[in-house]
Amino acid sequence: MWLPSYTTPSERLMRTLVLAFAVAVLLFLIAPLFIIVPLSFSKDPFFTLPVREYSLRWYADFFGNTRWMNAIFNSAVVAVMTTVLATTLGTLAALGISRADFPARRLIMALLIAPMIVPIVIVAVGSYLFFGQFGLTNTRIGLVLAHTALATPFVVITVTATLSTYDTNLTRAALSLGASPSSAFFHVTLPNIMPGVVSGAIFAFAISFDEVVVALFMTAAEQRTLPVQMFSGIRDQINPTIMAAATLLLALSIILFTILALMTRRRVK
Amino acid sequence: MTAVEVDRINVFMAVRRAQRPARRAALSLALPLIVFLAIAFVAPILYLLVTAVGNPETREVLPQTLRALESWDGISTLDEPVYAAFANDLKVAKDKSTAALLGKRLNYEISGMRSRVLAAARMVEKLDTGPYKEKFLELNKDWDSRETWEIIKRNGASFTPYYMLTALDLQQANGSIKRVQGDQAIFLDVLARTLFVAGLVTLFTLILGYPVAYVLTIAPKAIAGFMMLMVLLPLWTSLLVRTTAWVVLLQSDGIINDVLTALHLTSERLQLIFTRTGTVIAMTHIQLPFTILPIYSVMRSIPATQLRAARSLGAPPSSAFWRIYAPQTLPGVVAGCLMTFILSLGYYITPALVGGPRDQMVSNFISVYINRDLNWGLAAALGVVLLVVTLAIYLLFLRLVGADKIKLG
Amino acid sequence: MNFSQRMSLATDRPVDALVRFEDVKKSYDGINFVVKDLNLDVFRGEFLTMLGPSGSGKTTTLMMLGGFEQPTLGHILLDGKPVERLPPEKRNIGFVFQNYALFPHMTVAENVAFPLRYRGITGAAAKEKVRQALGRVSLEALGDRRPAQLSGGQQQRVALARSLVFEPALVLMDEPLGALDKQLRERMQIEIKQLQTSLGITMVYVTHDQSEALTMSDRIAVFHDGRIQQLSDPETLYNAPANRFVASFIGENNSLPCTLLGWEGGLAVVRMADGTTLKAAGANVSGMGVDMSISIRPENISLAGQRPHAGFNRFSGMARDVFFLGDHMRLSIEAFGGQLVTARIPALQARHFALGTDVAFECSISECRLLEE
Repeated sequence: MWLPSYTTPSERLMRTLVLAFAVAVLLFLIAPLFIIVPLSFSKDPFFTLPVREYSLRWYADFFGNTRWMNAIFNSAVVAVMTTVLATTLGTLAALGISRADFPARRLIMALLIAPMIVPIVIVAVGSYLFFGQFGLTNTRIGLVLAHTALATPFVVITVTATLSTYDTNLTRAALSLGASPSSAFFHVTLPNIMPGVVSGAIFAFAISFDEVVVALFMTAAEQRTLPVQMFSGIRDQINPTIMAAATLLLALSIILFTILALMTRRRVK
Repeated sequence: MTAVEVDRINVFMAVRRAQRPARRAALSLALPLIVFLAIAFVAPILYLLVTAVGNPETREVLPQTLRALESWDGISTLDEPVYAAFANDLKVAKDKSTAALLGKRLNYEISGMRSRVLAAARMVEKLDTGPYKEKFLELNKDWDSRETWEIIKRNGASFTPYYMLTALDLQQANGSIKRVQGDQAIFLDVLARTLFVAGLVTLFTLILGYPVAYVLTIAPKAIAGFMMLMVLLPLWTSLLVRTTAWVVLLQSDGIINDVLTALHLTSERLQLIFTRTGTVIAMTHIQLPFTILPIYSVMRSIPATQLRAARSLGAPPSSAFWRIYAPQTLPGVVAGCLMTFILSLGYYITPALVGGPRDQMVSNFISVYINRDLNWGLAAALGVVLLVVTLAIYLLFLRLVGADKIKLG
Repeated sequence: MNFSQRMSLATDRPVDALVRFEDVKKSYDGINFVVKDLNLDVFRGEFLTMLGPSGSGKTTTLMMLGGFEQPTLGHILLDGKPVERLPPEKRNIGFVFQNYALFPHMTVAENVAFPLRYRGITGAAAKEKVRQALGRVSLEALGDRRPAQLSGGQQQRVALARSLVFEPALVLMDEPLGALDKQLRERMQIEIKQLQTSLGITMVYVTHDQSEALTMSDRIAVFHDGRIQQLSDPETLYNAPANRFVASFIGENNSLPCTLLGWEGGLAVVRMADGTTLKAAGANVSGMGVDMSISIRPENISLAGQRPHAGFNRFSGMARDVFFLGDHMRLSIEAFGGQLVTARIPALQARHFALGTDVAFECSISECRLLEE
């Protein structure tokens, strides 16, 4: 398969082995994700396959429990606020960085990307200690601020990537035709970099919605997010309701991923 | 300076001047984010650094005592004035209930100090006047020990190297820095373990990921697209979901053990959950896409004619691969491996849920010192150690790869 | 009007200049200059082309005029008023970009209507103007399409319509035909030229394609190394290049080193490397320098008859290679002590011709030009 005609038999064997190996690795990558799906629909509280009898009892548990519902609500509120803040700040910054005249680009880029690199616990502890000084621990605002810092690099990267394929002559054309810089931005630049901005927003939402460590430090029971609720659940005693929650998170990831894939495809076209 | 030189400098300045508005406009767009990150990201980390060397307790609780100790040479026996000042400070501390804080801080350096300080505070509350010295000695003869007062005096400084030294298994004794012995020396071990696990995970992701990246570049478009989906989807899935999956899979009565026993590969069920093996497997799974993607993007840019040219020049397949292809993929390998190594250093969730007590990484210890022991200074100091190691590798990454090369999918 | 007369016009500062560059310099780093001491007037209603290889400063000059780059030193006057501080959207200049810069998220009609909305023209009036503009480039039917659904040539026309719809007095074009194939390019050259003449607009056109420049322009400014090497009408440019760069950049040219011996009745007398003396009419030299060359176009060399003609230079050479090119032959001649000279002679003439023998050639003295570096 996929071999040029000049290959030797030993090379064929080698390639077949590499292929088989790669397929095995891909299965290793993908299988664990989908293991949780059947388990969440099992009637039994065991984590074994095959499932003997299917039921929705763990989902009923999940949706019937005010703790889980509260956690979903908190996660959604925090993620939406983070998305708005991170997308705005990140897009503006990417627009600046992409200009030829941007000073000290390497240094500033290194700073803007740093939240991706710094160990999450350090961000969590730093935020916990620092925001504590201003009474922002155990508030949603504090968590939103920390999550926004974590999410902006993703927005900066996606929007910068889109801008690198954006023809700056479009902006120049708009200006030469009489548009002011701001209307050139809103009527010409923004519609054309929208896929990158939306991708960045999806990233920001996903980062915030999935984030555990900072949320663990920054929230009390009242602001508990879905991942924190899951984390403490697994710590205490792993139960199938957590499988239901994990399956729902997986479904959300797949939805967001699909939207993103569609956006990228449109961009390529 | 000649006229030509002056002219040149004028022109140079004119160019700088002409560029200034454009530079300012570009920078002003990034400014909101820079300011935001300075407040919400850099400031917390700086605060962490300060916490790691901060030493407020003794200064706040024992101001009079410290003043009385100022003239002490560290050798002579202390007299009543110091004890009187100490008693006054403790009375105030008792009122403000800050004595426990002081006790906790001093206890880090002399075990038993917490209860001694609390007992002394309770005692002075009942005393109206001195002399205090003999009362303190009656309570505990160690109130006469030089070591106790030396440490109190030393902790009068605003900053202390204590936490940083402890985080590196060092201690300050009699003016010199020594290595901590025995079961007290745990942190270098934890750091080594963290580096070891990160290295192991990096190695495994490389071994597993390199062939996948290669197959992605040679597969027909549709199949490659599907394979790419299988690489990207895990990346998109919540880290917690992936860890949860591994917690379930690795259970003693879980699916992996079911399969292994069904295939008669093992006679008895293996302990996988709460082990290092389990931690490394789960982390490898989570990090794999981070290693694959940079390698793939470099491999994709190597023209197929390279291998054909090598073959036409007489190289056998294996030699064409190792001498022509592999060296050209090196930038991707470096980028992917450094990325995975950096991210692996900061793991917290996966070791906490999948690992045993002996598999906890630096991050987990930081969390323990914050949440359980309430020893913020030591947690911060461990954070500084982790941060320094990470930033050192990040700088290496910036040198070798560059921040603008980071791509997402 | 010849080159030197044009130069004097530029210094006389005539009133009909729509655009004037005054001592304009541009540098991005403060050390190297992309544009050096540019002085240029663009007259009302003329088609001026800035021609030059890439990196010669022509596009930077155009961008400065459009307002997308600021001159480091000097002034740009538009209608007599300095515009260095005027942002592009206030200049009211039409601009056609390389690769057109059509807005991909808007239809053709929306693209063309775009400049109207900033000039307060909306509704039916705008519709009518868009219809007219698209009519002018024969694209009335395609108003509802997206740019991506159009061919390259159609996109080019949309860009043209968009830059003309608000009736600017000045239109700038940056290599607008570079992405089109040869045939389409030649048709568009004629269409653009016709539009420019019929609308009476002033056009500044940037290209690196000399035949395009020669076809369309009233005047051509040849750029090289940040300076205008020559500014003149196409014929003068071709027949009387001002220096060696222009001679070799425009058309094919033999540039042969020589030494100036003196002057004789207004003609320069030069000695070639092998001692042959030739005469040259068009001389553009300042003194008696050593580093000179004589420039002869291949089509001006022909096979000589038995007797020398008056007014012709005569020299002998050995034909090394002959290429048949349909209507003419192309000869590679070794002459003047080992130099290769290219000649284009009619195919008929070349019939009685043998390779490797010494042959006599001639060329009109009036077509030989003595040039300095």
